[in-house]
Amino acid sequence: MIAPNLIPAPDPNPLPAPYWVLETLLLVTFFLHILAMNFMLGGAVMALVAKWGPAKRKNGNRMFSDIARKLPVLLPAVITVGIAPLLFVQVLYGQFFYTSSIIMAWPWLFVLVLLAAAYYGFYFVSYKKERYPDRAGLVLLLSVVSIFIIAFLFSNNITLTQTPARWGAKYFADPGGWNLNLSEPTLIPRYLHFMTAAVALGGILLVLLAWARWKQDREYARDVFHLGGKTFMYATMAEFLVGIWFLVALPRQMTYLFLGGDPLATILLGIAVAGAIGAIVVMARALRSENIRLAAYSVMGIMSVVIFSMVGIREILFHAYLKPYFHPEQFAVKTQWSVFPLFLVLFVAGVILWFVMLKRYGLFARRKLPDQPQP
Amino acid sequence: MNYPVWDVAFGAGLLIATVAIIHVFVSHFAVGGGLFLVVTERKARRNGDTKLLDWLKFHSKFFVLVTVVFGVVTGVGIWFTIGLINPTATSDLIHIYVWGWAIEWVFFFTEISAALFYLYGWDKLDARVHQWFGWIYFIAAFASLVVINGIITFMLTSGSWVKNHQFWSGFFNPTYFPSLALRFAICLALAGVYALITASVQKDKALKARIVRWSALWIVPSLAMMPAFGWWYIHQIPSHVWASARGPMPTATDFAHYAVILLVVAFALALISLIKPARMHLAFSLLIALVALGTMGSFEFVRESVRLPYVIDNYLYANSIYASPVPGDGGFNLEKIKQAGVLKTAKWVKTRELTPENQVAVGREVFRVDCESCHTTDEYRGVKELLTLRQWDQAKTQTMLGVLYLMHNNVMPPFAGNNAEQAALAAFLYSLEPTRAREAGPPDGHTVFVHNCAMCHEPRKNDYLFKYLPKDPATAIKALEHLPNLFPLMPDLKLSAAERTALVQWVNTRRGIAAHAAGQGGN
Repeated sequence: MIAPNLIPAPDPNPLPAPYWVLETLLLVTFFLHILAMNFMLGGAVMALVAKWGPAKRKNGNRMFSDIARKLPVLLPAVITVGIAPLLFVQVLYGQFFYTSSIIMAWPWLFVLVLLAAAYYGFYFVSYKKERYPDRAGLVLLLSVVSIFIIAFLFSNNITLTQTPARWGAKYFADPGGWNLNLSEPTLIPRYLHFMTAAVALGGILLVLLAWARWKQDREYARDVFHLGGKTFMYATMAEFLVGIWFLVALPRQMTYLFLGGDPLATILLGIAVAGAIGAIVVMARALRSENIRLAAYSVMGIMSVVIFSMVGIREILFHAYLKPYFHPEQFAVKTQWSVFPLFLVLFVAGVILWFVMLKRYGLFARRKLPDQPQP
Repeated sequence: MNYPVWDVAFGAGLLIATVAIIHVFVSHFAVGGGLFLVVTERKARRNGDTKLLDWLKFHSKFFVLVTVVFGVVTGVGIWFTIGLINPTATSDLIHIYVWGWAIEWVFFFTEISAALFYLYGWDKLDARVHQWFGWIYFIAAFASLVVINGIITFMLTSGSWVKNHQFWSGFFNPTYFPSLALRFAICLALAGVYALITASVQKDKALKARIVRWSALWIVPSLAMMPAFGWWYIHQIPSHVWASARGPMPTATDFAHYAVILLVVAFALALISLIKPARMHLAFSLLIALVALGTMGSFEFVRESVRLPYVIDNYLYANSIYASPVPGDGGFNLEKIKQAGVLKTAKWVKTRELTPENQVAVGREVFRVDCESCHTTDEYRGVKELLTLRQWDQAKTQTMLGVLYLMHNNVMPPFAGNNAEQAALAAFLYSLEPTRAREAGPPDGHTVFVHNCAMCHEPRKNDYLFKYLPKDPATAIKALEHLPNLFPLMPDLKLSAAERTALVQWVNTRRGIAAHAAGQGGN
């Protein structure tokens, strides 16, 4: 017989700050992580599209190089920013997250192997793309496939985290940790929802790249802009289909949350949908009028709001799944006043220092126009 | 018990150790190597040594590929692994030190950013700004060590935290400063060790010799300081805890020996590299790195082993059971589990009722939740091998399970469960079919000692058995008839007269008492 309640009790140490503080930190840092992840994965996909895409581009190889050079910086950004939500999710939802991770322990650990492989792949491409152009494409493809698998494993783990009713059967069938959550009906649409978003944001990364090259080399930048802008539009359109699939795959009471059942969920979904449609319209106009600033500023601005709304939606859904099992009031809270302010001070100092570093590195400096336009 | 136990066939402990040792070998390089980069850059620029500067560019690329890629991924790997293998301890450490981890994350983010700016800034930034990035990197990396060190040492010596539960009491615990000093010395030594690797592939012999000499300047003094820091460290650990590494506990003792031997070897190799620095070969540099890895790995093994039976000193046992009742512990404390039993307490067991038919199956489950954090059946710290060594039958195994906490300098927690579960565990262990030795002739004393005493006693002068067992053989043989009379906590092993006689004879021989006396006593 399997125990009726397998959910581990939270540990006896109180939360060192109120629940809402930690939840806010979780959401904000997760937003930054997912933003970086989208740019990294979407960017890598776009590099492959530029190199091997259906329409052979004159600037394909140059675009490939241009993006590939950024990937070894984007991936550590994803990881370093990702460590914070990994910390806060353990603080608040460890009892669920650890358990699902243990049930699928080996695939979960395999994430690290794939991550290291993808990471070294990115460096190989960045450093050796001129010397081995063909091999660089293949290596990048392998890195991208690795990251797609990582994302799939994450989707497995998170869907398992929020469905404790499945845990017992899976664990006792194989305590050795060789499980996934493939029978979860929302797994595939959820996964595709994230991956399609990454491709859309990859399009925006190209728009930003085009913007940076706009004055130096208009023809190249225009090409990049069009590829990025169109990719963004088509991927976002596809996202609607995937999103609808995801919505209907949810248990009915959860679908209902987003259709008026929960005001906040409905509003956030409304913002996300309206924002995405607005972003497509703005991008279309920007492409027609070749207004790169409009595309870069407005679409990026709108999409930031859309993504933040989606992060909120994701959290509401997570709580809806865990409603029978998780109650924030279960936590004892004892704010660690002797150290929490120190974190805040260091965090602010860290952010300031980071901007100083960007400035000293020259990222905010206006680029000089070259004397001769590049071919 | 609160969380499911991940059944790792080859040993969960070994998996954690592997990931952790690989990570620390890189992460300490990340700290020391940062200082190495910026100090070497300053030296090269001051001397106008462009060749050294060119090598440094190459070395900084290697540095980033090792630390920012491999170091970061294995760092995340530690998080993943400890969460999978010891979720209770991880959750405790996360809750106690959230703001410590969060502060460390700020430093970490700064560190990684600065490392990338430093790498990509070689041809872009002026010398002063480039070195500024190098210093930012090093300071952030060192600061992250300062934070992590507090949490790691807390696990070994929790200090007054157990009483007052104050963040800083646990953080600045007794081993904090010696550990910081020792680890920083390791960081500096590793900076030189890794530099030898990239130096060894340089074609310019004069340049290679310069780098090797410069690297040795980082390695040799740092290694030379380590015994002093180690001594300081050890003296901050309670002596009864450190005693594990002085014989009674095989893992701690063996690795303490390896650490000392490999440290000496690393020191000697570093000196040898100075004999003909221009001829430093890649293989030789990798050998030094391997020895350094062995030294560091051994040190970490010792630290983790002497900490046992705890994973958090005086608070949480290695098998995720709270040593004493703590408000909010969900009943996962030793006292409660002994009372209620594993089957009624653990969340992640299949069987809730123990019957004569399911005894072995229940024993298997008890083994998983009570023992698998450190033991396997056949692999790492395999119990089958241990049972073969001791030759215990089921009854003796059951008796011995009652005194686990006395064995090997108290490195195991007391058995957590009720008497019936203890019997079930014994039945399961016996079902593993440890190899039985053939009884051939009368027992010899050493074998009797190994089978019955060696888990708690060692053949040395100040061991209780060797010090206090009556010297007169007849009295000693009589005394061994009922062991709890000798010391109330001892298991009531029923040794036969022949076994007792052999044991006394062997003990007396070891402590230099005339053999004929023992012989007479046996008559």
